[in-house]
Amino acid sequence: MSVVEEHSSHDHHGYYAEGGNHHDTPQAKHRKEHMLVWMLIGGDMVFTALIIFAWFYLKALNVEGMWRGAACTPNFNAGINQSCTDGIGNSITHIIPTASPVHTFAVAILAIVGAGLMWFAEVQARQGASRKTTTPLLGLASLAILGSLVWQIYQFQVLPFTTVQGAYASVFEYIMGSNVGHLLLILLVATGLFIRSSKGLHENGRWYQIHLSRLFSVWVAFSITLLACMVTFFN
Amino acid sequence: MSTTALLEDTKLGPKAGGLYRHQNFLTGIITGGLAMLVGWLIAHYTLQSNANWGSDMVVTVTMAAWVVGFMAGIGAFNAVFRWMIGHDQDHEDELYAAGVSQGWKRYFKFCTDHKVVGTQYLVLVMTLFAVGGTLAMIIRTQLISPNNHLISPQTYNAVISIHGMIMIIATIIMVSGPWANFILPIQVGAKDMAFPRLNALSLWLVVAAVPPILISLFIGGVDSGWTTYAPLSVQSPPGQDAFSITIITFVVSVTVAGINTITTTLTMRAKGMTMGRLPIFVWGSIVSAGLGLYAMPAFLAAQSMLLTDRVVGTSFFAPAQGGAGWLYENIFWIMGHPEVYVILIPGVAAAMDVASTFSRKPVFGYKIGIGAFFGLAVLAIMVWAHHMFTTGWAPNLADPWMLTTELISIPTGIFFLVIIGTLWRGSIWTRLPMYWVYLFLWNFIIGGVTGIYLSDVPADQYFHGDMFVTAHFHYTLLGGAMIGATAALCYWFPKMSGRMLNERIGKTAFWVVAIFFQVTYFGMFWEGFQGMPRRIAAYAPYFHTANVIATVGAYGLFLGWVILLYALIHSWMNGKVAPSNPWHAKSLEWHISSPPPLENFLVDPIVTSDPYTYGEDEAATPAKNPTPATVGSSEEGAH
Amino acid sequence: MSSNHEDIKREQIAEAVEGWTHGGPLYRRPAFRIMILVVLFSAFGIWAAAFFTDKIMPSILSTQMGSVHDTVILFTVLAAPVSALVYAIAAYSVYKWRRTGGDEPPPDGPPIRENTLVTSLWLGMSVILVVVLLVWGMTALSSENQGQLKPVTVDVYGQQWLWTFKYPGTGVESNQLVVPTGRQIRFVITSYDVTHGFWPNSLGVQVDANPGFNTYITADPTKTGQFAVRCSQLCGLYHAYMDANGKVVTPAQFSAWLISQGASSSAANAYALGGK
Repeated sequence: MSVVEEHSSHDHHGYYAEGGNHHDTPQAKHRKEHMLVWMLIGGDMVFTALIIFAWFYLKALNVEGMWRGAACTPNFNAGINQSCTDGIGNSITHIIPTASPVHTFAVAILAIVGAGLMWFAEVQARQGASRKTTTPLLGLASLAILGSLVWQIYQFQVLPFTTVQGAYASVFEYIMGSNVGHLLLILLVATGLFIRSSKGLHENGRWYQIHLSRLFSVWVAFSITLLACMVTFFN
Repeated sequence: MSTTALLEDTKLGPKAGGLYRHQNFLTGIITGGLAMLVGWLIAHYTLQSNANWGSDMVVTVTMAAWVVGFMAGIGAFNAVFRWMIGHDQDHEDELYAAGVSQGWKRYFKFCTDHKVVGTQYLVLVMTLFAVGGTLAMIIRTQLISPNNHLISPQTYNAVISIHGMIMIIATIIMVSGPWANFILPIQVGAKDMAFPRLNALSLWLVVAAVPPILISLFIGGVDSGWTTYAPLSVQSPPGQDAFSITIITFVVSVTVAGINTITTTLTMRAKGMTMGRLPIFVWGSIVSAGLGLYAMPAFLAAQSMLLTDRVVGTSFFAPAQGGAGWLYENIFWIMGHPEVYVILIPGVAAAMDVASTFSRKPVFGYKIGIGAFFGLAVLAIMVWAHHMFTTGWAPNLADPWMLTTELISIPTGIFFLVIIGTLWRGSIWTRLPMYWVYLFLWNFIIGGVTGIYLSDVPADQYFHGDMFVTAHFHYTLLGGAMIGATAALCYWFPKMSGRMLNERIGKTAFWVVAIFFQVTYFGMFWEGFQGMPRRIAAYAPYFHTANVIATVGAYGLFLGWVILLYALIHSWMNGKVAPSNPWHAKSLEWHISSPPPLENFLVDPIVTSDPYTYGEDEAATPAKNPTPATVGSSEEGAH
Repeated sequence: MSSNHEDIKREQIAEAVEGWTHGGPLYRRPAFRIMILVVLFSAFGIWAAAFFTDKIMPSILSTQMGSVHDTVILFTVLAAPVSALVYAIAAYSVYKWRRTGGDEPPPDGPPIRENTLVTSLWLGMSVILVVVLLVWGMTALSSENQGQLKPVTVDVYGQQWLWTFKYPGTGVESNQLVVPTGRQIRFVITSYDVTHGFWPNSLGVQVDANPGFNTYITADPTKTGQFAVRCSQLCGLYHAYMDANGKVVTPAQFSAWLISQGASSSAANAYALGGK
């Protein structure tokens, strides 16, 4: 491989530039971070797809009739375990009720609102809005996401079943847990954006971080909604 | 040259780095330990009341607290926190984080310099291999006689499980850790990785992930193998919880490392470094990283579902409550099969580059070789159920799985074509790295061919779950991928350490490893043909001879690696000082000094050809000991 | 790619082909010597496979086990020349093209970057081999499920760390697996606790015992003899000791054995001798 010299000047300040990355024009930095966010979303898509797989797989198998406890009949030969019991040994004699879609969709709608507000803030910042416009929008976005998170945690209290009551309950609560994790992540990001915006760090064309955060938040809102539809309409 | 000294010894202000100034490996351990204690106290006194899952909950919380505490203590969250409060790190902080003016101490810090991270990875990988290898010796010693009582069956199960998982972790990072971090950015002409902080994060996450899996040995162990098949793993001792925390932490590490490698290659190439001019090792690394991005979420899903089954009583895998072990097996192998190619591809790619350098010839079939990487990656995600031929899951689908599995032999065959095509009529320069390439060829053929037997469903109904499988995958992963990685180690050692590797000791190690490797796994194939199941602590006397062969071989193999380790340490401390290009190779890393300075390139390189111009243009060959700023002639036209 | 580059490449390839095929007397040409090595390596590989199947593997007690033996032999016969080619070229390259360079590299080799003909041949060969392997596997797989008489059903139960075999209709329950020749045996397998691997090894079949599910496998015993039933899936503490004895016997002996285990003679005969 042959190389030729381009220039011999050596500008340290250009290299370890302020704000993190080396030597980059803002465009190059944004391109990298764009890739980062999309790859994270890609990985998360695989994770979501596996949750969906687990849901439909266990639902289709309905092992021992224990998807929702409806038809508990040990269905393999000679009835080894008379196992119509939940995970802690209580017998299950009834159908496990489904969770109320009100809570499920409230979480999803709040997440959508949060992501939407963030998107709106991005549009405003792109049009050159000052911190006076973006800060309240990002603050509201954080609040909406916080609301979604709190409601999701609250839903654990009002479920008509617990984790031990069969496969439906298991996957349902696992999805809730996954939502909590995702919402916590975008809550931290949204809060950070809110604080940074209040310091004027997103003014003068520096809207890119809002854009990246919006991409991931929209994906999170989408996946929460998708899973909410799944658990509500295909149970 | 003076600029090098200037940058690395820049005087930073007394506050540069902020909190980083006070954080290192030790504070990480202290904070992690304290977090563990707090986590344990809280979990013990509030959650233990739940008699069903109490102890699992306590172990999970304690281990997770360790990981978070350690990462906080070493400074992984500083920059995130400062971003959140809108008080970004400034230029001096960044320089401090990159290790400027800290000397050897930067190796024990959350250092963002890719060469420091690469070196840290190398030491970490060596440590993991040492632990995993020692566990392997315990296994082989237990199996030296049919009914040995060296260790109890419970300990035995824990040892095989932890041996497996430690080795899987070590092999996943053995190339993508040291070499994709240290060498790859230089090869593409970049000054660092795309995300230096994520780079440091990926390293320290692995460090944080190691203690839980080792602790698991002392809290009951894992008794279901590295695959931790459910429902057995749902009933395992609390060691399983620590194991799952290790995996979940490791998943995050591999994900961010993979994203970093891909982004670096796609966005940070030097001027003139087109994708078609990348060394083939770079291609192998990014394909492997991309495959890892697909595989790791499945690992997360499998282990987190297992953890919730154990800790909060969900029933993903417990049949009595509506779960299915087949669900675990599917999700696990959706991860598991791509994962073996994550391990394999960079090792093969490195071997291809080494073969080219020491044959003094271009890589034969560069494009079709890259095509084979992609082909292998695509096939890898469509073959997972061949691990489940004998589980009884979907027997009607055996034919399609057999098809995709056997198709794997086409891209794998191309690997061999590329390497032997490169050797063909070359000027074979028999230096140490090249030795390992020959061993790679020898072993990987055997690993590949035995894989074909297993891909055939009727034959797999005999061989599945027996020692034949063990021998097969050790031939591919240890004999193939790890030998390829060893070639890479011997090849890039001078660049990394600035010292030449002692070839006399190295070649001794080579012959010991090469011979005893064959002995060990010949013994295991023998056991496999005889029908000895895997993972058994005692066996029928009928299998004794083969086991003695395997054990004796394993001792020799271990000795071989110890000799190589000695060669490495000895050379790193006392070796001859390495010139910048000891192998007269042509890729970019050989154009700069050994070891490279901070920022790698003193001048921005412009690349005018690929690194395989052997025999094509003498003028393009760099001088014997080029100064860091090599000025080559621009070759006639672009290749 | 510049024309200059193309020229160099063409020259080098021409030279390479020249040396390969026309380099003096036959025995001195690389192609010939490599072929000799290929034959030697292949012969060794095939001998090793024959040795392993003949001397090391358990004896063939069923058509399935016969097909395992055949597969190992056939696959080795197919794979040995390919592996041998790689080994031969590698060995020849060390023997013939090695340069002792010391610290200085030898002169560069010919810049052969690609060769469409060789690559196409290699790919074509791989595809043909894959097709052969696949057809072989699929044929063996589909022929596994053919039987003339009604199959003998044996229910297999795995539990930590014990196998139990039930012979439905006869009331016989045993820790020993006894099956007759000349009939297809249909195993119905499940587990009481965790996943086990049911592996009657001389029958050449294997399937997991999954809790919560039945799995099925069929075997056609052809020869009487003893074999071991092992657990092939790690199942906890005493996994290593989860063995059972297996025996293939004649139908008459099978019937007699069932009676000795407490079955009524009518039930035993009906079960063992069966009907269409």
